[in-house]
Amino acid sequence: MSVFDGLKFRKVYSPIHNLDPRMKFAYVIAIFVVAIIFYQVIPLLVLFFMQIPFVLLARVQRQWLRSLRGAAFLAAFIFIINVVTTYFTSGYTFTAINIENSTAMTLRFIVLVESFSVFFLTTSPDHLGLALEESRVPYEFAFAFTTAVRFVPVLAEEAQTIMDAQKARGLELEKGGLLKRIRNYIPILIPLIVSAIRRSLELAEAMESRAWGAAKKRTNLYSLKLHKGDFALLAITIGILALAVYAHFNVAVPTVSSLLGF
Amino acid sequence: MALIEIKNLTYTYPGASKPSINDVSLKVEKGEFVLITGPSGCGKTTLCRCFNGLVPHFYQGELKGEISVAGLDTLKHHTYEMAKHVGLVFQNPENQLFALSIEKDVAFGLENNGVDRVEMRRRVDEVLQQTGIYDIRERSPHEISGGQQQRVAIAAVLAMEPEIIVLDEPTSFLDPLSAQKIFEVIFKLNREQGITVILVEHRLDLTAKYTNHLIVMDEGKIRFEGDPRQILSNEETRLIGVGIPKATLLYQMLKKEGLNLNNATPLSSEELADQLLEALKVE
Ligand SMILES: Nc1ncnc2c1ncn2[C@@H]1O[C@H](COP(=O)(O)OP(=O)(O)OP(=O)(O)O)[C@@H](O)[C@H]1O
Ligand SMILES: [Mg+2]
Repeated sequence: MSVFDGLKFRKVYSPIHNLDPRMKFAYVIAIFVVAIIFYQVIPLLVLFFMQIPFVLLARVQRQWLRSLRGAAFLAAFIFIINVVTTYFTSGYTFTAINIENSTAMTLRFIVLVESFSVFFLTTSPDHLGLALEESRVPYEFAFAFTTAVRFVPVLAEEAQTIMDAQKARGLELEKGGLLKRIRNYIPILIPLIVSAIRRSLELAEAMESRAWGAAKKRTNLYSLKLHKGDFALLAITIGILALAVYAHFNVAVPTVSSLLGF
Repeated sequence: MALIEIKNLTYTYPGASKPSINDVSLKVEKGEFVLITGPSGCGKTTLCRCFNGLVPHFYQGELKGEISVAGLDTLKHHTYEMAKHVGLVFQNPENQLFALSIEKDVAFGLENNGVDRVEMRRRVDEVLQQTGIYDIRERSPHEISGGQQQRVAIAAVLAMEPEIIVLDEPTSFLDPLSAQKIFEVIFKLNREQGITVILVEHRLDLTAKYTNHLIVMDEGKIRFEGDPRQILSNEETRLIGVGIPKATLLYQMLKKEGLNLNNATPLSSEELADQLLEALKVE
C-alpha cells in the first residue's frame, strides 16, 4: 500500500495547513530568492533551519524527512561535481574555501527542495485548486487539476488489479532484458487506457447532467479568506526579503573557514 | 399535460444499424414512482439519457418523435438547462464524483448554476442531511463505500432541486443491504417531497412494492406497462427475462397447489407472509 500512501493527501489540520496557499507560495518564492542571492554557507544554513519550525508546527516531519532523503542522492551528486570542478579550476588543489563553496551550493539545493516540500506537504489539492481559481486561472484548468488528483488513487488501484489479473494469466513482468521488460507492460497499459477512456466518457456524461457550463459566472462553495496567520506569514516573508537584501549589500558575510582560522 | 410526455420516440446511436429506442410512447404524471425493467441491452439506459437531453445533445445520433419533460422540449433545451428539472444518477458511483470532498461534489451543480454561496451552503447541508451523509461531508470520495458514494450522487442531483430524479440501476454495484438503504432514501424522497422518481432496476424483489407504474422493456420497445401485480403474474413477462420477485413466484406455486390465498398478487415477502397468515387463520 506504500505506493498509494504517497499519492494520497492526508487531511490534517494545523496552523500551517490552514494558511492561504497564495501566501505560502509567496513565502516559498521569497526563500527561493534569498537562497539564490546568497552563496555562503552561513546564511544558507540559517535558511535551512528557519523551515524547521514550520515543519514541526505542521506535524509533517516524517514525510518531510522522507522527501529530504529522496533528494540526498542528487545533493551528493551536486557536491561531488562542485568539488571536482573547483579542484580542476583552482590549480589541482583541495582548499577549505572550495569545499565550503561546494557545501553552500549543495545547501542551496537542499533549501529549495525543503521549502517546496513544505509547501506541497501542507497544501491540500482542494486548496490549491481553489487558489488557482481565485488567481483567475480558467476554471477548466483548476477542475482538470483537482479531478486528476481525485482519480490518481483510483487509477493506481485499477493498475494494480489489472497487473494481478494479467499475472494470474501467466504474464511475467520481471523477465528478459530491458526492452523485453518494457514490452511486458503492454498488456497492462492497454486495458488501463481503454478503461480510462471509458471512465472519462462517463465522467463527461455526469458533468453534463450536473449543469456543467450552465452559467457564465460560476460560483464556489468555498472562498479563500485571509486570516491573522496569513498576515503574519506575509510580514515574515517581507521581513526575510528586506533583511536579506539589506545584508546582501551592507554586511560582509564571513566564511566558516575564516571563522575557524584556516 | 403530464410531467413527462413521450410520443413515438425512435432513436439510433450514430453508426448503429438498428434503433436502440423503437417507437416508444410514455406518460409520467407528477409525483409518480415509475419502475423500468427489462433484459440487458433493451434500451433502459438510452431512455434515461433521453429524459435530460444527453440523447441527442451529448450522443448525437438520429432521433424521431416528440419528447417533453417538465414542459420543456429536450430537443430545444440543452442538458445543462434540463439539469434543473431532471437529476440523473448513474450506475457506477465512482465515475460520477469528481471533487476532492463530498460536500464540494454535492455543490458542483449549484456552482455551475452560479447560485450564491449562502444559499448554496444551505441547500448542500440540507441534502446531506436528507441522504444521511452529513457526518462524512469532508471526506474524499475515495475513502467511502460504494453505497455512500451512490448517496452522494443522489444528494448531488437533489441539491439542484429537480422535479424528477432518474436513477439508472443505482444499486448494481452494491450489496443487498446497501441497495435496500438506497431504495429507502429514494422512496422517502418520493413520498415526503413529492419528487417524481424513475427507477431502472433488475432487483424487483426489493423495489416492486414501491410502485404502481411498472414498465417492462424489450428490444427498444415497451412491452408491458401498468399495474405491477398484473404484469408480474403474467407468464410472458417471465419469458422476456424479467426477474420476477420470489414472493410472487412462490404465491403462484402455492395457488396452483390449491392453497386458498386471496387474489392480490404479492410483490414482496412481507405481503406474502401476511397473506399466508390470513389463510392459516381461516383454516
Ligand atoms: N454509446 C452507445 N453507442 C452505440 N450504441 C449504444 C451506446 N450505448 C448503448 N448502445 C446500444 O443500445 C442498445 C441499448 O443499450 P442500453 O445501454 O440502453 O441498454 P440497457 O437496457 O441499459 O442495458 P443494461 O441492462 O445492460 O444496462 C444496446 O444494443 C447497445 O449496444
Ligand atoms: Mg443500462
